[in-house]
Amino acid sequence: MAERYNAIVIGGGHNGLTTAAYLAKAGLKTLVLERRSILGGATLTESPVPGYKFSVASYLVSLLRPQVIRELDLAKHGLQMAPSVGTYTAHWDGYLDRRTDHADTIREIRKWSHKDADNYDDFKQTVTDITRFIRPAIDIPAPDPYGDPHEWLDYAGLAKDFGHLPLRTKGALLDLITGSAYDFLSRWFEGEPLVGTMSASGIIGTFLGIKSPGTGMVFLHHYFGEIDGSFREWALPQGGTGAVATAIANAARFHGATTRTDAPVKQILLKGDRAIGVVLESGEEIHADTVVSAADAKHTFLDMLPAGSLPNDFERAIRNFKFRGSSAKVNFALDGLPTFTAAPPGTGHLMGTVSISPSPDYMEKAYDDAKHGHPSHRPFLDMLIPTLVDPSMAPPGKHVATAFVQYAPHKLAPEHGTWDDIKESFGDLVVDTISEFAPDFRNKIVGRQIMTPLDLERTIGLTEGNIFQGEILVQQMAFNRPVSGWARYKTPIKDYWLASSSAHPGGGIMAAPGRLAALEILKSKAGDE
Amino acid sequence: MAAKKKAAAPAEQKARNSADVIVLGGGHNGLVAAAYLARAGIKTILLEARGELGGMALTADIDGVNAPMLAHTVGRFRPRVARDLGLAGSVRLVEPEVRSFAPHPTNGTSITLYRDPEKSAKELEKRPNGKATAAGFLKLDGRLRRIGAYFEQVLDGVPPDLDGGKSVAEMLAGFAFRKPFTDLKEGDGREILRILPMSASDLVGEYIQHDEHLLAMLAWRGAIYNAVGPMSPGTAATMLFDGITGDGADGGAAGQTVVAIGGPGALATALADAARGFGAEIRTGAKVVAITEQDGRVTGVALASGEEIAAPYVLSTLDPKTTLLGLLGVEATGPDLRRRLRATRSSGVTAKLNLLVDKLPTFTAAGKGEAAEQTLRGRIVILESILGIEKAFDASKYGQISETPVIEALIPTLIDPSLAPDGRHIISCVVQYAPAVLKDGEWDEPTRKAFADSVVAQLEQVAPGITRLISARQLITPADLQSDWGATGGHAMHVNEGFDQFAQWRPLYGIGRYETTIDGLFLSGAGTHPGGGVTGAPGANAAEALIRHLRRAAD
Repeated sequence: MAERYNAIVIGGGHNGLTTAAYLAKAGLKTLVLERRSILGGATLTESPVPGYKFSVASYLVSLLRPQVIRELDLAKHGLQMAPSVGTYTAHWDGYLDRRTDHADTIREIRKWSHKDADNYDDFKQTVTDITRFIRPAIDIPAPDPYGDPHEWLDYAGLAKDFGHLPLRTKGALLDLITGSAYDFLSRWFEGEPLVGTMSASGIIGTFLGIKSPGTGMVFLHHYFGEIDGSFREWALPQGGTGAVATAIANAARFHGATTRTDAPVKQILLKGDRAIGVVLESGEEIHADTVVSAADAKHTFLDMLPAGSLPNDFERAIRNFKFRGSSAKVNFALDGLPTFTAAPPGTGHLMGTVSISPSPDYMEKAYDDAKHGHPSHRPFLDMLIPTLVDPSMAPPGKHVATAFVQYAPHKLAPEHGTWDDIKESFGDLVVDTISEFAPDFRNKIVGRQIMTPLDLERTIGLTEGNIFQGEILVQQMAFNRPVSGWARYKTPIKDYWLASSSAHPGGGIMAAPGRLAALEILKSKAGDE
Repeated sequence: MAAKKKAAAPAEQKARNSADVIVLGGGHNGLVAAAYLARAGIKTILLEARGELGGMALTADIDGVNAPMLAHTVGRFRPRVARDLGLAGSVRLVEPEVRSFAPHPTNGTSITLYRDPEKSAKELEKRPNGKATAAGFLKLDGRLRRIGAYFEQVLDGVPPDLDGGKSVAEMLAGFAFRKPFTDLKEGDGREILRILPMSASDLVGEYIQHDEHLLAMLAWRGAIYNAVGPMSPGTAATMLFDGITGDGADGGAAGQTVVAIGGPGALATALADAARGFGAEIRTGAKVVAITEQDGRVTGVALASGEEIAAPYVLSTLDPKTTLLGLLGVEATGPDLRRRLRATRSSGVTAKLNLLVDKLPTFTAAGKGEAAEQTLRGRIVILESILGIEKAFDASKYGQISETPVIEALIPTLIDPSLAPDGRHIISCVVQYAPAVLKDGEWDEPTRKAFADSVVAQLEQVAPGITRLISARQLITPADLQSDWGATGGHAMHVNEGFDQFAQWRPLYGIGRYETTIDGLFLSGAGTHPGGGVTGAPGANAAEALIRHLRRAAD
């Protein structure tokens, strides 16, 4: 029989690698098994167009936990990040260019609405107060409503703080948890590009529209963003998002973990009600005291376990867990920068996010299409040109643009056929959408990579192409993620743990589920001794 | 704004011009509140702007036939309110055997749901994939009834205070109304915490996987009367309220169908009689233009006639925007509350079309004769699929009238023939989605006619020949609800229902427990917990909160 490990981690994405690094650091003999020939999962840099490096799936880092950066010493292991500054919104009648300077931002907003400019600071304060209050929850396992009172101790401070929040903050928090991103924003703002772009934070990776209740929660999820302790900032890793996975993998190996690629797991090995290892597609068996899955809930529970090994209720709950991928990714190799018709002089506005989200109606109509199984006739786009910050991503003088595109519903209406049938025309649609605001864009393209929801599912292993390994819906967060009673990384199978974004606190390049799962596993091991 | 008017009326002023409590609005909630207050020995004056009482629970005379002008069922009226106010002898409620009947608009099939879920399941078994569908229906019905028993208790109280809890557990329990919640089985408790924010279509979809028509028919209960589609998150909460079961209420998956003999107006009349019987003074044609206050403390109201009535307490059952934005000035409400309240969703998308027909039309799928008459006693729901409803909703988001709106019709004359003298019938249609404010044009005569025609054309699909039988039509659009009933935005439920405007955050957190931030002003009506529909619960709960407040103040 092959070597025996203390822990096997299935999936070499950023969460799996994080779990492995923490377990190895604690002295466990740890093995990471990755299905593909490259580590990173959705946190991935590749070069499908020679000479150009794309952040294939994810594109921005906002939520990576500062604890992980610190505790795994990721800087030493090669992680370098540059802040992504500002957001430029293209509009048919002009533009909105918000950068870091406060006075400039207010001036820009005032172009569209005096009221919005006057309300901006109050809005920022309210959201800052809310996120400061609720942010600690990302770094604590979710307490169970019927759980051990000890689980609630970490939250006692939060509850006390809730009582002390001013009424307006409490009200705003409830509005966000229960309502829509659009309704929340419309308390302060009316300007088309401002509301359009800000409300986009409420729909990323979710099959809902900006006016759907529940999108406030997604908005809040994105406003948790902090980089290394500095609040509400987004960052671009040098070398693309794959560099984050590489740094975490380096840390894991530094602490003694082994990583294996091209090692797809076929099934979890069970002995009685306990996991004792895995069988690879090759037939190889590897045994371990603990098996951790960093794959999503569907793969973890429905695909890798022998049929009938889960309690009925639990299995039904997993089948009811919603994925519903709604986005695609289109990456471009460019031989020059696009010129937006309405833009300030220079290229400063292209340094941050370039957003095609000109109005609330534009955003909502994009959702209407998707609801009925069509790719949006005019999609919302979040585009970055990382070469402006990190020229190493392309040959000298050339550029890379990476576009997050929504909506691209995983489940298409029958008339479209499959995503493979409409892949190229969808790519053209994205080019058309950008070219509507930057007519020379189409002429600068020297290569493109289209990642449809089906590609995200097949290539990266994200069920239904959902980038968060399960929709960010209120009913799928905290103690309900992925199943009520099983939100603390443990599963109904002994010694089998869940460490992916299908667990609390959900998706994004946070590494929080990976870290929290590792800490829970270590705690449980300490309890066993 | 006539906010800072004279202080409290001089003591020698005529009794007629002062009260302990002024109740605003003579709809069923206002009448219930006035009755409870008067019953507690509190001097109460109720003021109604319109010439008649009943608000949206009215019976209208169309050509000598009594039609339910707006609301047409009263299934959720709280039995405890009926008991407290002694209505037993004065109102007769009838619950037909058939809850609802859904003739498919194009393929000739239909679904009938009965009071008895087993009977419904038997019928469902005959459909394609019927075994699985029937089993799923029974499971869903059972779940909704068990959870509905919990919500049944929740309807009759003030939503708990989320502040001041000693732990998050207490706070969470507060969200969920502690006592009834801890009485639940763990599985049902977990389900409530999961289901509340969900969409109705996701909830029903977990149980009904192979029957699009039934899925739409059931999930529709989460969207009716509101500017949402069944795929909108939060609509499951509305369904749970609709499914309440216990203490005489009997909801479940099919929802309730209960009709008041004499029309909904009969209920309003009984409530008015009860209120007067307890000593409340009721005045119609009394339009209030301002709630007067001094230093953040209510002093009374000012009427359009110029008259002022002094009272230390005002309980308003008008919609929250009218009460707080329309009748009070910024100095009383403060800018933050105003901003939040303005963004509260209150755009109505539901119209009412009453059709007078010479004889009962034939609904093809219901057959003919006595059996058909039995089937047609339930709600008649015309819809096709979840996406079909969503498409109708989509149009309304951009100010357009849906081309194929959802229709929920009731033929009250089949249950209460006394409404029509000579075998004629009323077909009372709730029609959704039609927005109050149109992007292009107005609700002028041609628009109204075209809209009513399109509804009739849809009915014609399932009841061929109906058009020829119609002798009179009465259309009430959301725009009319705004202009004639004073509901801001033209919303029949005052503010949109769903998990986002729910419990202690209906209409807004901070004023969702009936007491407002203005001393002496209590909020009630459909815009407060537990929302719209002819339940009487907001009226009773708010009145009881005010009575407790007065007793505490007296101690």
